[in-house]
Amino acid sequence: MSESHTPVFRRAVVALAGEPGDERIVRLVSELARPIHGELAAVHVVEVGWSLPLDADIAGRSEEVQRILDNAESVAEESKVRLESVLLQARDVGAALVDEATERQADLLVLGLPYRKRFGGDFAIGRTIPYVLKNAPCAVWVVREPIPEDQP
Amino acid sequence: MFVLVVGGGKVGYYLSKELIENGYEVVLMEKDRSRADQIADEIGSIVIAHDGCEGKYLGEAGCARADIVAAVTGDDEDNLVICQMAKHHFDVRRTIARVNNPKNEDLFRHLGVDEIISPTRMILGSIEQDIPVHELLHLAALGEGELEIIEAHLQDGSPAVGRTAGDLSMPEGCSLFAIVRDGVATPLRPDITLRVGDKVIAIGPSDCEARLHEQLIGEDPEAVAQGR
Repeated sequence: MSESHTPVFRRAVVALAGEPGDERIVRLVSELARPIHGELAAVHVVEVGWSLPLDADIAGRSEEVQRILDNAESVAEESKVRLESVLLQARDVGAALVDEATERQADLLVLGLPYRKRFGGDFAIGRTIPYVLKNAPCAVWVVREPIPEDQP
Repeated sequence: MFVLVVGGGKVGYYLSKELIENGYEVVLMEKDRSRADQIADEIGSIVIAHDGCEGKYLGEAGCARADIVAAVTGDDEDNLVICQMAKHHFDVRRTIARVNNPKNEDLFRHLGVDEIISPTRMILGSIEQDIPVHELLHLAALGEGELEIIEAHLQDGSPAVGRTAGDLSMPEGCSLFAIVRDGVATPLRPDITLRVGDKVIAIGPSDCEARLHEQLIGEDPEAVAQGR
C-alpha cells in the first residue's frame, strides 16, 4: 500500500469481545495502521443490567477484563503500532461502540463475529452487529471467524 | 433520579423522551417487540422488550432501585398490577398509574397507588367547566386522593338557592370554602345567600359526594334510581 494513496482509515475503533477472534482483528487493523500511521483504539464494553447503576464497580477490577485489554495492546505492540485500550460500562454494547466511534470521530469501526448457530441451525449474527451496521456514522468492517471444523 | 416507565404507547414514549431530555435516568418497558424496537430506534437503547406485569422482568429493569415507577399502559388492570408489584415487592417509593376508566380510581387509591392520572377525568372536567351540568365537578384530588376539591354550579331547582351557606347541612369533614359569583371568587361566609349561577367550591372526603350532591344540586339521581 502506498502512502501517496488515500489511507484506508485515519482513526479506527476496534471492538474487543473477549473472544479468541480479538487477536485476529487487532492484528489485521494494526498491520493496516502501521504504514499509514493510523490511530487505534480498542474498546471493550461491559454491559451493565438495569438492576445496577451504570457506574457500579463491576468491570474495573476484573482480571478477565484486564487480560482482554492487555492482549490487545500486546498484539498491537508486536506490529509496532500504538493502541489505546478503553474499558466502557454501558447498557448496550452496540450503542456504546457507536457512541465511542462518533466521539472519537473514527472513520472505521471493526468488529469480530464468531461463527455460531442458533438452536435449529440458523446462523446467529446477534444484536450488536445489526445495530452497529445500522447506526454507525463511519465505515464498519465485520470480520467473521472461520467456521469451526467440528461444526455440523 | 431513576424512573421506570411501563408501557410504550404514545404516553410512555413522550414521557420517556421528555424525562431523558430533562436529564433523568429512564428505562422503558414495552411488551410488543416491534414497538419496542421502533422506540429504541428513536430515543436510544433504553427500551426493554418485556411485559412489565411480570415480576422477573420488572426486576431486570431495575425496579428495586427505581425512584419512581410510572405505569402508563392502556390497560388499567396491567397498570394496577405493575404499581402493586413495584410498591409491595420492590419497595418503590412513588408509583404513578394511568387510569383510563374513572370508575377504577377509588380501587387504585385503595390499593396504595401513590398517584393516579385519569385522562378521561381530566377531559371530562374540562368539558364540564364550559357546559353547565347538573352534577358536581371534580377539580382536584389532594394528599393521596382521600380529599377532593369539588365545584357545584347552582341551577334552577337547586335546594341551596335562596339559602345561606350556614343553613346547609354539610357532611362531616366536608366544608364549603369559596364561591365564584359573576366571575369573582370570594371566601364563602355563612351569611352569604346562594343564588342561581353561583359556583360553590367544596373540599371533603370523596365519600361525601352523594350528600354534597343532595344539598347543592338536588337529589342524587343514582340514589333515586337505586331506591336509596
